[in-house]
Amino acid sequence: MKTVIDAHNIKKVYNPETIPVVAVNNVHLHLERGEFTALVGPSGSGKTTLLNLIGGLDKPDTGSVIINNVDITKLTPNKLIDFRLHNIGFVFQAFNLIPVLSARENVELIMQLQHVKKHEIKARVTNLFQQIGLEDKMDNRPAQLSGGQQQRVAVARALASRPQFILADEPTANLDTKSADNLLDIMAKLNKEENMTFIFSTHDQRVIERARRVITLVDGQIHADSSPVSVNVDSTIT
Amino acid sequence: MTVIIIIQMAWRNIWRNKVRSMIIISSVAIGLVAGLFVLSLYKGILEDRFRTVIDKEVSHLQIHHARFKEDFDPKYIIPNNDELIKSLGHLSSVKIFTPRTIAQGMLATGTGSSGIQIVGVDPEQEDRVTSLNSKIKEGDGFVNGKKNQLLISKKLADKMHLKVGSKAILTFIDKESNIISSAFRAAGIYQTDNTPRDERIVFVKQKDLNSYLSLDDEFHELAILLQNDDDVENVQASLKNQHPNLQIESWMDISPETKLMIETTDQYSLIFIVIIMLALSFGIVNTMLMAVLERSREIGMLLALGMNRLKVFFMILTETVLLTITGVPMGVLIAWFIVLIYHRHGLDISALGGQAMSEFGFSSMIYPAFPWEKILGEMLIVLIASMLSSLVPAIKAIRLRPVEALQK
Repeated sequence: MKTVIDAHNIKKVYNPETIPVVAVNNVHLHLERGEFTALVGPSGSGKTTLLNLIGGLDKPDTGSVIINNVDITKLTPNKLIDFRLHNIGFVFQAFNLIPVLSARENVELIMQLQHVKKHEIKARVTNLFQQIGLEDKMDNRPAQLSGGQQQRVAVARALASRPQFILADEPTANLDTKSADNLLDIMAKLNKEENMTFIFSTHDQRVIERARRVITLVDGQIHADSSPVSVNVDSTIT
Repeated sequence: MTVIIIIQMAWRNIWRNKVRSMIIISSVAIGLVAGLFVLSLYKGILEDRFRTVIDKEVSHLQIHHARFKEDFDPKYIIPNNDELIKSLGHLSSVKIFTPRTIAQGMLATGTGSSGIQIVGVDPEQEDRVTSLNSKIKEGDGFVNGKKNQLLISKKLADKMHLKVGSKAILTFIDKESNIISSAFRAAGIYQTDNTPRDERIVFVKQKDLNSYLSLDDEFHELAILLQNDDDVENVQASLKNQHPNLQIESWMDISPETKLMIETTDQYSLIFIVIIMLALSFGIVNTMLMAVLERSREIGMLLALGMNRLKVFFMILTETVLLTITGVPMGVLIAWFIVLIYHRHGLDISALGGQAMSEFGFSSMIYPAFPWEKILGEMLIVLIASMLSSLVPAIKAIRLRPVEALQK
């Protein structure tokens, strides 16, 4: 199996000089291609911080994050942006689509930033919208889509750059049950059929139940790393 | 392709908050209207002053005896004037000219006396060169066959309590330095926009003055109008070459203040425009900063997804430029329309210091002229001002840390 993420001894402390808050504490994390992993834990356990660190949105105070043989903690801010563009897909809790662009344009934007050829963009966009089942909504603006539809477009956008893995921060938190199930179906299908690596931070039991690996964080440290069967999210909230 | 999508995003972004965008567009338009109107006023005032100097006061060129202007001694007539007039007649760039006899003297009435310059003119020729008759506000002006007639300015007539038909005594010295005094009857009262000049000049017929000065067909001054304003320096150089013993002056030599005014107007108007642009810039900085702060989450998301900082910077800059580009034609059009109206009907500023304007030789009725020749420069200044103003919000945008911005 190909290693996608190799994080060594990463630590992140907020407000180090005033009231220090250790968000992530000496975490080692190894993820391989095709994993469908959920990061769980109570609020403030460091899930989002860990996602930000392995997604290159934030830098750890110590340790290294190696993605595709590149230690992203050593990249300059501009190189890091470029690295994210080509290697990491993001799905945010609040969808975060660009409101002035149509669903299609939101997905196209990433490929345009990557300088993908026009005909390739067209073909890929069509394919992605088929995969998320929104071919008929391609030209709608985000405001004309439901929450579930917007999150599906966000998944398509994350996939558009052909990333090494997709980081999803509480992707189902703002969705109703039906939309959440629909989204999870799509992500599970992409994981199964395209071997796409997904890492979620979540509180959602449905996500946890469908994950093949569940990493439990407590106080910024990995408390458990196991199969979903043995995990009950409520039991982790202490 | 990326540039196109960024421009597309920028264009759509500016219409997310229509009211705010319209405020910036209106600010740009109003700034441009103000700037262009100031330039138009300056241009109108200067064009009017320039034409007055050329067409009503000084003419393009004046010729005198080399020593005449030292102390206006009447003995310094222009020598060989026949030859000079003949040579001028052969110059195609010369439109028309008129001879004048000049004496320094005093005008006295029962009320008092005043130092004056007596200018002896050929009435018909003078009218053709300086539109003398159009300046007469009272009386019929010079009448053929009548001797010792006088044209006096309204300012001086009021001061001396002189009315049309009244007599005044003119005292001056002839070319033999004899003191001459003679009575002249006011045939007309004239008025121009140049009060100081009006106050010191009275016109008489050249024939009358020449007879008192013991001059034949001689004169002290030859005022020349050219076909084209741009020929002044060439004709002046050519005449100086032909007549090295004469003093040949252009309007710029005689009225250096007008030349200075024309030369410095650009600098003065630039100061006004810079002030207007500064006000505009603060407005743009404020509004665009608000737009960036409101969208920090979205900008953070773009940075997170991989849009590099240069592109984010370009997007904010483009938004400002697009707003400016939308405002510029509006501003130009409105300014042109306003200037057009005032150009036709005039802007009467007599109630706002018209007297002061007149003291400096300016008309109190201004006919603004649209500064087409400066329009590109003006638009460029507005564009540069708006781009500079967008630097603050654009820098603010690229300094956002995605991880923080996404939490907002």
